[in-house]
Amino acid sequence: MNLLSRSSLKRLLAALLLAGVVTLMTGAPGGYGVPAYTGLHGSFLERVSYFGLFRTQRWFLFLTLGIIAWLVSTYYQRHSLTIRRRLEPVMAIPTQVMQRRTNRWVLIGLVVIVTIFIPKLVHQQFWMYLIVEQIGVWILLALGLNVVVGFAGLLDLGFAAFYAIGAYATAWFTGVLPTPAPFNHPIPTLWCIPIGVGLAMVFGIILGIPTLRLRGDYLAIVTLGFALIIDDFVGTQSGLTGGGEGSLTVPKFAVHVGPVHYTWGISPTPYYYLCFLFVVIFLIAFTALEYSRVGRAWVAIREDEVAAESIGINPLKYKVMAFAVGAASGGFGGVLTAGLIGNINPTLFQYQVSVNVLILVIFGGMGSIWGVAIGAIIVQFVTSYLDNYQPWGYQLNDLYMYIGALLIIMMIFRPAGILPSRRRQREIQSFEVDHEGHLDEVLTGDEP
Amino acid sequence: MSEDLLIDVQQVTLRFGGVVSLRDVSLAMRRGEILAVIGPNGAGKTSLFNSITGVYQPQEGSITFASSKAPPLSVIGKKTHRIAQAGVSRTFQASRLFSALTVFENVKIGAEDHRGIGVAGALVKGPRTRRGEHTSDKVAASMLRFVGLLDESNTVASQLSYGARRRLEIARALATDPEVILLDEPAAGTNPSEKLELTTLIRRVRDERDVSVLLIEHDMKLVMALAERIYVLNFGSMIAEGTPEEIRANPAVIDAYLGSSTEETSA
Ligand SMILES: Nc1ncnc2c1ncn2[C@@H]1O[C@H](COP(=O)(O)OP(=O)(O)O)[C@@H](O)[C@H]1O
Ligand SMILES: [Mg+2]
Repeated sequence: MNLLSRSSLKRLLAALLLAGVVTLMTGAPGGYGVPAYTGLHGSFLERVSYFGLFRTQRWFLFLTLGIIAWLVSTYYQRHSLTIRRRLEPVMAIPTQVMQRRTNRWVLIGLVVIVTIFIPKLVHQQFWMYLIVEQIGVWILLALGLNVVVGFAGLLDLGFAAFYAIGAYATAWFTGVLPTPAPFNHPIPTLWCIPIGVGLAMVFGIILGIPTLRLRGDYLAIVTLGFALIIDDFVGTQSGLTGGGEGSLTVPKFAVHVGPVHYTWGISPTPYYYLCFLFVVIFLIAFTALEYSRVGRAWVAIREDEVAAESIGINPLKYKVMAFAVGAASGGFGGVLTAGLIGNINPTLFQYQVSVNVLILVIFGGMGSIWGVAIGAIIVQFVTSYLDNYQPWGYQLNDLYMYIGALLIIMMIFRPAGILPSRRRQREIQSFEVDHEGHLDEVLTGDEP
Repeated sequence: MSEDLLIDVQQVTLRFGGVVSLRDVSLAMRRGEILAVIGPNGAGKTSLFNSITGVYQPQEGSITFASSKAPPLSVIGKKTHRIAQAGVSRTFQASRLFSALTVFENVKIGAEDHRGIGVAGALVKGPRTRRGEHTSDKVAASMLRFVGLLDESNTVASQLSYGARRRLEIARALATDPEVILLDEPAAGTNPSEKLELTTLIRRVRDERDVSVLLIEHDMKLVMALAERIYVLNFGSMIAEGTPEEIRANPAVIDAYLGSSTEETSA
């Protein structure tokens, strides 16, 4: 191996620089009243324990990782073709396994059984709450955004707005905001589902009709602006929304139909099953949508809008529909969150929520319903774990740096997500046929 | 408008800033005919198609499409999808298939009814939805048989050969149940045997499916074999109209087009 060639040394330099930057960035945060260099200083001195096996300064770890990355990339550059050929069958396994009908049903059966018994296995209430709030609801949000981004190919950066609309509509109609409920008559929380969903959908349509006429990036900008407006509105209009303190406690979900009286109480387990039910409904509904004429029209528009129009498809109508379905799902997530956690406040609906949901969709595989669901579980579980245990000197502020790195690696090795949608994967493959060899160029920055 | 007129283009002018793509262009297409538009590159042929299908909006003139099922449609200012739904279908100079979908799905999308909302239908799958699916499956299959691609139903469109792609585009356009189909250089980039196949196919489109054909083509052999009448565009103006024999003998045409590039046209 030619480790001392020019391009190899260039890569070594890049790896060392990267290790340095990562060391600085993951170090102790600075702050007011401490010298500006405290953070940098701390980054180099801080000692962290790894699995209780050894303790060392973090820079040492990153330096080691950098050198390993350098060796691997040099090796990879020489043998990329062989490696790729060997890896291809492995990388295709998830898709192949899922393509068999029986495998799919066995897997679905296993998943259902495991999901049903999770409350029996998880004994900490705290984790059950996390599973419901951080995973259950977020699967729903990600599945909803997947319709917009994955099916219709529209970049929506303001999903949090519809989430907020659903939640605040619930708080308003149950009478826990400073503004009295409509007609001064609070209604049960469960009834807020159609209201929150409908309201979010109306907002989606009103926002969508003018914006979706324009091409491409305008939608991303307008939705981003809309989310910021909603965020600002709920945060500052204290008289209406309770401002930063948020609402009083939204009443628990309760069913009173004939002889059936049931209230979701303090324990998280009933909420868990409620969420599970909704996730199943979402999965079935969106799969049906994907393989309906509506789903096919979305693919047509995504692939070639001009051709789609030439066979009688109205792009605006179908885009608004996708956008409205997404908005409705966001609203639904909002109602559910409000019923679940009671006190809602603006921190729950910040801009980052939109980005987080988008990350779940990209990670799982745009347009792949199962991929998005599984991706949401993995990412949400890992981030919840990191947040609550902060292992290996992990710091909350560094989350997005790691996620960014994860997405970059994904874009190189698995651009269609962990469980790619078949249609999406074909799009990427036909792109790669036209741009042969892009992988090596991305990895090494020069021609092999 | 006379009885058998299908598309009536009257004194259409289309400008892009200073560029005049179409200058005072008129064209009358009769129901049931195979009509060709020829002219050198940049003459405005594709612009004419785009004006008829609502992709471009000419500044002057009128275009009328006389459907046999509905009152005449004034095309200018209408949306492309509305015009397509009324019965004007087309293919593109550079083929524009849905490359990630299978051959079958490509044609099925064309056959589907895109009016209404359809979300409720997709979720409930009532009898109407199921009947719709069944109909579009049948239409798609019969169109694929018509163009000879039924065996390739499950192939991904991007993996087809060039000639097969052109036929698939025709199948997709036909699946919309049009009264007229606009073919923009259907034989571009195909080999001689594929050209022959396409010539037969285009004639069958008119004879067997009863769809009128408006054709742009550079290949003179194909045009002369198919077209019953020919219009000639040059620098955005219509310089001649007539039967293939008349066009071949027209000095203005020879001057502008045939005379200067007879060798290229058959290439
Ligand atoms: N969208 C457009 N914007 C600006 N100019 C255009 C556009 N479309 C066509 N043109 C111009 O109109 C003229 C005719 O083009 P076109 O209709 O494509 O010719 P043809 O199909 O006969 O080769 C050309 O000069 C072209 O540059
Ligand atoms: Mg052209």
